[in-house]
Amino acid sequence: MLELRHVSKHFLGIPAVADVTFSARAGEITGYLGPNGSGKSTTMKMITGLIEATSGDILFRGVPIQQDLIAWKQRMGYVPEEPHLYTHLSGLEYLVMVGQLRNLPTRETADRIDGLLRLFTLHSDRHAPISAYSKGMRQKVLLSAALLHNPELILLDEPFSGLDVGTGLVLRSLIQELAARGKVVLFSSHELETVERVCSHVVILHRGKIVADDSIERLRALMAVPTLEGIFSQLAVEQDTDAISREIADLIQA
Amino acid sequence: MSKLQFRVLYREFLFRLVDLELLSPDAHGDANKLLGQIATVLTMYSVGLGLGGLLFDHRGMPAAAFEIFSMSLEHFLISTTMLVVGLFAVLSWDSTFPDRRDVLVLAALPVRTRTFFLARVAAVASGLALAVVVLNAGPGLTWPLTLSSANPSFLEMALPFVRRTFVAYWITMLAAGTFLFCSVLSIQGVAALLPRRIFLRLSSFLQLGSFVTFLSVYLLQPALASPAALLAPRNQKLLAVLPSYWFLGLFQQLNGTLSPATAPLARRAWIGLAIAMSTTAVAYALSYFRTLRKVVEEPDIAPGIRGLRWLPAFGSAVETAIVQFSIRALSRSRQHRVILAFYLGIAFTIVIAFLKDPRAQRQMTAGVNAPLMMSSVVMLCFWIIGTRMVFAIPVNPRANWIFRVMPIRGGGQCVSAARRSLYLLAWVPAWGVSAAIFLYSWPWRAALEHVILLGLLGAVVVELALYRFQKLPFTCSWLPGQAFARVAFVAYSFLLQLLVYEGGALERRALDEPVLYAEILACLVGVVATVRWWITVEINAEESVVSFEETQTPIITGLGLFRDGVLSTQAGE
Repeated sequence: MLELRHVSKHFLGIPAVADVTFSARAGEITGYLGPNGSGKSTTMKMITGLIEATSGDILFRGVPIQQDLIAWKQRMGYVPEEPHLYTHLSGLEYLVMVGQLRNLPTRETADRIDGLLRLFTLHSDRHAPISAYSKGMRQKVLLSAALLHNPELILLDEPFSGLDVGTGLVLRSLIQELAARGKVVLFSSHELETVERVCSHVVILHRGKIVADDSIERLRALMAVPTLEGIFSQLAVEQDTDAISREIADLIQA
Repeated sequence: MSKLQFRVLYREFLFRLVDLELLSPDAHGDANKLLGQIATVLTMYSVGLGLGGLLFDHRGMPAAAFEIFSMSLEHFLISTTMLVVGLFAVLSWDSTFPDRRDVLVLAALPVRTRTFFLARVAAVASGLALAVVVLNAGPGLTWPLTLSSANPSFLEMALPFVRRTFVAYWITMLAAGTFLFCSVLSIQGVAALLPRRIFLRLSSFLQLGSFVTFLSVYLLQPALASPAALLAPRNQKLLAVLPSYWFLGLFQQLNGTLSPATAPLARRAWIGLAIAMSTTAVAYALSYFRTLRKVVEEPDIAPGIRGLRWLPAFGSAVETAIVQFSIRALSRSRQHRVILAFYLGIAFTIVIAFLKDPRAQRQMTAGVNAPLMMSSVVMLCFWIIGTRMVFAIPVNPRANWIFRVMPIRGGGQCVSAARRSLYLLAWVPAWGVSAAIFLYSWPWRAALEHVILLGLLGAVVVELALYRFQKLPFTCSWLPGQAFARVAFVAYSFLLQLLVYEGGALERRALDEPVLYAEILACLVGVVATVRWWITVEINAEESVVSFEETQTPIITGLGLFRDGVLSTQAGE
């Protein structure tokens, strides 16, 4: 289980994440939702160890991750929000490098990379430089790199970004399959329909603070709203969306 | 063409002559500091030469000697301007054509291709003009006055404040710079008419080739700036291919001091300038519009060469990953290769200056000689130092998150990987080439003895270069403003030049005296072991965290007396 206890992060004294406490259990897919700038990616980066929390604890299976950050990184797979990759390498070279950096056995890793490239339909382009890849292809490289070492915890920050319909469906099933095999999956997305279909449990963040942390069924019942979109709108959207869209249309016509 | 569109694009392209994404967040993503540094170097050079012009007193100098002096100086200033413009052309190589980002962003906007093209040309021309003006601001004010005071012309007598030499100087410098830059552009333009894949592959070779050519011509061209040398029939073939002398002729013509020796050179300068400008106008314009169409369809970098994909293991898995990454980064990044070539160019200069010394020339006639030995030492040292400098410049700082989320320990593992990379990319090629040359041309025993000492000396430099290197090569962001390292590097390179004379003589003696050789060998082995031990102790004493952001040492140290919600003096917290 991944646990966050009273985690806060301040940048230049300004809170980006404030007193966040929630847990993501093994076998479950936890959706981590929130509007732009609510602190989702900051939380993800704290969990990966990319940035340090100002206060609070992050624990995995009861042990603070900071206790042995190297061992923690060995158990975690991460797909970042932006597909920044070393574009002078080919897709294959990038994945081989990730395998080596994770100290994985050479032969098994080569077979695994080959399999992932085939299943993600990148095999024919494996020797092309990443600079020539489309956004979707880059996303597939990121997913392959995150899954290469069979991690216990998978952090997915906008994983569907740029993927075609077919690969999107594959990824959706894959996330469910991985959770069914006992992995902890923390999944951040703006695609509420997908979250609703995939996740058993959601955490909604607004202005750096948690405003909901429960199963989707219970939230529906509690708030008497039939969809996740409705729940999200009530908890995290402050604006009158219809009024704003009317104003925009008026503004550009003026 | 909309003036506003042109202004916006011009400004954007002008500030994009430098790649801002390489800079550390501490540099606040702003190119001012970097541009300031470049301008400072040029200004220092300019002020130094300008002061020389002010302080120079030619009274009492015979007329013939003054003529040779002024011609040599004019030639030196012209060839230096051409070198700086050449380096500018090499460094802004990729900025002269539109990249994919430009095309994708601007294609959706109602901007005419002509506006886009003219803004790009204007930005590059402004950069070029600025470089020429900054470089010549000092000498361009003082030397024309000094040089012209010997032969006042009618114009000077009529208008004391407008000196013909002054006008001639600036026209010549701008014409020389334009000639060189247009020549580079026309070569690029003609190459860009080839299929884009071939062009991308050829482009990096052309860039490196241009860099080496400019530096070699500047350093190796013979001194022919005297009437006798310019008229000598044996020099005519050489003068026909050395543009810096053509522009010396042009200067003399504009200055009203044209002689039979310089008249053909001036003619050649005008013809050369006309050809370069017209070829550029056609080739660059054609290739620019073609590139605009092709850039969207094809990748930015050409696919790797098939045979070079496989690389062997270099130690543990992590070390192998880092070393392979370093090899691929250096072999595929044109920018990094050019910077390394710059350091090798400096080494080449020192070697040439060293070998041209009459003392060295005398020794060169003997078989086993100190000058050649020391040339190999200089090349090896500069190759290692240049590669270490290049390690500090990132390939893509935004992509380094992958190393940050990997289970990599700092300290020994990090240094070991960097050490292997440095050995492979610098020590092995430099030492290998030297070993081949010495084993081929010298008696095997002397060659072997020198090659062993050379290898050990290289190992000492590698170890010293890794002092407190808690980084992975090509991953840490770069912070401009650390001029000390560069100043120290230049200072040490001159110190090295002095040391090589003494070291060369000592080694030459050691090759004849086995006891002395054994002592030097033992001493070097001891130094390598000690430095390596010292580096390891230093690294282990520090926190074992790999550094990915170059941070600025604050001038004022904060006490950290702040709480959450109160503005901190420490960035990021």
